[in-house]
Amino acid sequence: MIHQYKNNGYNIVMDVCSGAIHVVDDITYDVIAAYEENNNKNRETTLEGLHASLPAYSVEDLKEALEEVEDLKEQGELFAEDVYKEFVMDFKKRKTVVKALCLHIAHDCNLGCRYCFAEEGEYHGDRSLMSYEVGKQALDFLVANSGNRRNLEVDFFGGEPTMNFDVVRKLVAYGRSLEEPYNKNFRFTLTTNGILLNDEIMEFANREMANVVLSIDGRKSVNDYMRPTRNGKSTYDIIVPKFQKFAELRNQTNYYVRGTFTHHNLDFSEDVLHLADLGFKQISVEPVVAPPEEPYAIQEADLPQLMEEYDKLAKEMVRREKEGNGFNFFHFMIDLTQGPCVAKRLSGCGSGTEYLAVTPWGDLYPCHQFVGQEQFKLGNVYDGIQAEEIRDEFKLCNVYAKEKCRNCFARFYCSGGCAANSYNFHGSILDAYDIGCELQKKRIECAIMIKAALADQEEKETEEA
Amino acid sequence: MKHVKTLTNKTLKSTMEKGGCGECQTSCQSACKTSCTVGNQTCENQR
Repeated sequence: MIHQYKNNGYNIVMDVCSGAIHVVDDITYDVIAAYEENNNKNRETTLEGLHASLPAYSVEDLKEALEEVEDLKEQGELFAEDVYKEFVMDFKKRKTVVKALCLHIAHDCNLGCRYCFAEEGEYHGDRSLMSYEVGKQALDFLVANSGNRRNLEVDFFGGEPTMNFDVVRKLVAYGRSLEEPYNKNFRFTLTTNGILLNDEIMEFANREMANVVLSIDGRKSVNDYMRPTRNGKSTYDIIVPKFQKFAELRNQTNYYVRGTFTHHNLDFSEDVLHLADLGFKQISVEPVVAPPEEPYAIQEADLPQLMEEYDKLAKEMVRREKEGNGFNFFHFMIDLTQGPCVAKRLSGCGSGTEYLAVTPWGDLYPCHQFVGQEQFKLGNVYDGIQAEEIRDEFKLCNVYAKEKCRNCFARFYCSGGCAANSYNFHGSILDAYDIGCELQKKRIECAIMIKAALADQEEKETEEA
Repeated sequence: MKHVKTLTNKTLKSTMEKGGCGECQTSCQSACKTSCTVGNQTCENQR
């Protein structure tokens, strides 16, 4: 299966099943399209046939392009067969282990963000803080269920985890005490809105946290509209200086400033660039996921503008990178050489199997987004997984189990998308959130274009040298 | 090749045998929490 597109002057051809990606000239682009069409109709591609359908090119040129296409096919880098459908059958029998927990350290928050899926931290329940005992039990549960996995991840999430930071400190110490005896390596992460950040928390986080996620939406007006304090005041001025300091203390690495864009700021590339202009080098700004009736929800009609915004952002990122003033945008990150293996790409995010969320009182859910939806409760940190049928449902959730994903060019990049989004929009984890899919596909195209542009630049520099 | 510049060649199939160690980062722990962005994770098993 081929996916080909033109972006920013580059003709890009993705060979979906081999993972190969090529940048080609116009004639080869057209030859590949004709070849793919013939493949789909079980027809042989001949030089005569090509010349008949592409009369603008000379026979000699077509011959040369066709030879290169056939060469790539021979090498398994074009029109590769999908060999993974069978692989996924074996893969279903695999025994899964737990390797990551999202600890809901506080179901409480000091902000009143309009789009909060956690309902201002409360997750369809009462305000509650996780006790040290529950957290300790969660870490014991993780170690006991992690098999041979050495790297274990624990995210301190909320609500707002700094509202219960003493417990965070104690849990980190407890986790570290388990590393040597059990041969484990904990990677702690923290997601915070920044309001309570202080030097002490930053110093602790810089010593202990592998990554920190700092929530801010971008421009002051955008941020303050969606992320006000509980009494409706601005947060931008409180958090920006703290986040700038934090990012510098972390040497501009192993953190993200993380924003959400909504229907109210469809020109979100301005927010990304605003964050870059504030000096941040690790930026993630993502589309809100919300019920369509919410005024801030992304609508299908918003898609054309959002596509343009991604294109605009990608071009600007290339420009800044060439100037030596680049930054990293999480949704355009793509690792073309050392990326994930097929097993990972097929199994997706691991929610419900490898990745679980823990409520303040110790209940286990498939992920943070399912917390509070009783029908998804898997068990608790004391008794472990009890609802095995729910876990097995998640275990079988992979790209080939989803009708919409099976033949999508993006399937090995998004891995079937977010199960919670699928459930929220369609009542099944085996479906897909359509607006999210369209945006995801666009982001992949932009990310690859950026790689092409930078490779091009590198080549030119080498030639000049 | 005259007409084609390959950005990356066949990397997927070769990971079928060795892959699946599971030591890599869980995608939602990195930043997203609302989407699924597996393709941007890095393999920790040096192939």
